[in-house]
Amino acid sequence: MSTPLLWILLPLLISGIFLFIMNQQRILKWAGTIISLSLAVLAAALPINQVFNYPFWELRVSDELLVFGRRFVLSEVDRPIVVLLFLLCTFWFIILDPETVPIQVIPLGLAGTALILTAYAVEPIFYGALFFAFLALIYVVLLSPPGQEPTQGVLRFLVFQILGMLFILFAAWLASWIDLNSGDQLLLTRSLVILALGFSFLLSIFPFISWIPMVTEKNHPFLTGFVLNTYLLGVFLFSLRFITEAGWFGNNINIQQPLQIAGAMMLGFGGSLAIISKHLGRMMAAVVISEIGRSLLAISLFSSGFPFFFALVVVQALALGVLSLSLSHLRQGVRSFSYDSAAGAARQWPIISSGILVGYFTLAGLPLFAGFPLYWALGCSLRLFPLWINGLYFFGALGLIVGGVRILAALTRNSGEEKVLIIGSPFYRSLILAVNISLVLLGFFPQIVMWAAQSITIIFMGS
Amino acid sequence: MAGLFQTFSVAVLFLCAAGILLVKNWRWMTGLLALQYIGVLSLVSISWPVEIAVVKLVAGWMAAAVLFLTYVNIPDSAAETQNDLSFPEIFFRGFTALLIGLSMYSLVPVALRWFLGATHQQTLGGLLLLGLGLLQLGLSREAIRIVIGVLTVISGFEILYATLEASVLMTGLLAILNIGIAFVGAYLLLASYLEETS
Repeated sequence: MSTPLLWILLPLLISGIFLFIMNQQRILKWAGTIISLSLAVLAAALPINQVFNYPFWELRVSDELLVFGRRFVLSEVDRPIVVLLFLLCTFWFIILDPETVPIQVIPLGLAGTALILTAYAVEPIFYGALFFAFLALIYVVLLSPPGQEPTQGVLRFLVFQILGMLFILFAAWLASWIDLNSGDQLLLTRSLVILALGFSFLLSIFPFISWIPMVTEKNHPFLTGFVLNTYLLGVFLFSLRFITEAGWFGNNINIQQPLQIAGAMMLGFGGSLAIISKHLGRMMAAVVISEIGRSLLAISLFSSGFPFFFALVVVQALALGVLSLSLSHLRQGVRSFSYDSAAGAARQWPIISSGILVGYFTLAGLPLFAGFPLYWALGCSLRLFPLWINGLYFFGALGLIVGGVRILAALTRNSGEEKVLIIGSPFYRSLILAVNISLVLLGFFPQIVMWAAQSITIIFMGS
Repeated sequence: MAGLFQTFSVAVLFLCAAGILLVKNWRWMTGLLALQYIGVLSLVSISWPVEIAVVKLVAGWMAAAVLFLTYVNIPDSAAETQNDLSFPEIFFRGFTALLIGLSMYSLVPVALRWFLGATHQQTLGGLLLLGLGLLQLGLSREAIRIVIGVLTVISGFEILYATLEASVLMTGLLAILNIGIAFVGAYLLLASYLEETS
């Protein structure tokens, strides 16, 4: 028995079995939730590399698996990452409404989580890029449910992810040369540029962001939220491991500045998109693009920024989850997500609209919501860096809040609609309220999230 | 003789990749894709033993077969796209393919400094597929063309990467990726005909 078997092969096997019971939607939802929760609990509690003596046999859960000479390692230090990923999966499965969301998110989501862990666990780490290509294939299928034409955004997502993989593989090969020819600055610069290009494709950094608004505008909001949340988190974790583990990143290489330039640009784009958009789906893209920027800025601070990054992950998941859930319910009552179509939604469906507003404003960083204390602290940590980075940081936040005010105006506008269509079951409306309240409470008590994030960072940095 | 054979393989690769760009008939497209993988095999086999290099051919042919069979099974005749391209369109695509070919040829001396173990033909073949695959991706909006474009780009990369690394796991994973992309392409072609789940 080994940890990769338990947290990679087992979920893959289970997701394969789930494909055969796709018509049992409720059973599938709760089975997926229980299994991902069990895997998270197991990841938190299972002792690794210790021998257990039972009456007839002894059991030892090793932390590695060898496949064709390559190692897959999920050791003690990776425990918080495994817990985090499966808890994230559990959260998305709990808020999934089988009435409004294609149920294939359960098997494909579970398989996706296993693939993220595979990419994270493989040694040498650059092989992980290949697993992200597989993950992209799974998510392309997930984003194109039966009965619908694949959208251009999904096809672009596929192309960008495959290109990103190719660049990372090539850069990793070049990097292996640096060990042999240490001091070759030209080779080092080349490999860094190619690697940056690869990660830009994977993380959708400018100019490769176009697929995000395309997907959020045309695809199912819940599926989009799930894919954006888990895929980008997976790539960020992979990049963190790449940065911390690849020995060829010497101390004399400045990757802080490129990270900050990319992060500030993303925030600027997110803010601008929020100001000009008139579509709820594109507003979701605006906050997601800004979150990529904030995560990059947090990572650029290295060890002091990692707690911010992990705290952002928690808040992003909650806020994006409630935003996606609310949008997928609102979809039943409106023709499209354009402001004109969604006008007056808050008067007809106040709880669902509150989910959209709270989720959005949390990610925008409005005071009193869970995002604000983290963004404030991150902004304070960036004060020593150039003014234009701080300026774009401020502009991004301002743009998002202005965009949020426009959403508020659109949703509360009197559209003259009088008939009331009841959408969303009481259970999911209660869930929206519960997540809303938790996002407000976390705004008042950010130390809870920061404590968890600090703990994850301490164990993560131990690797 | 070996050099001549390699040059012939490069010519096959160029003709196939450019042909895919020019034809609209799906039978021709998948046929040319399958033929393209013979060229890939011959260039990869310069760096690898033939018994390992043949994995590329098998995976490629499987991918082409998956796409072909999907088209055969598409329920209505919409799958049979128009066979005719207008002359200006053919000229534009053909001329662009030629330009890409010339650009890639001019890039070979530079690329040879990066791919030290590669022959001139391997480098040219790989670059041609990368360039023409990217051109295909840039000019297309249909799922099938995007998928074939992605497969072409990966083939080009595989030729170049074979000169750098010969890992069994990497070979296997890239083969699975090729087949996986073809299956996803097949799913995307059929998705709109499938029954909605919710």
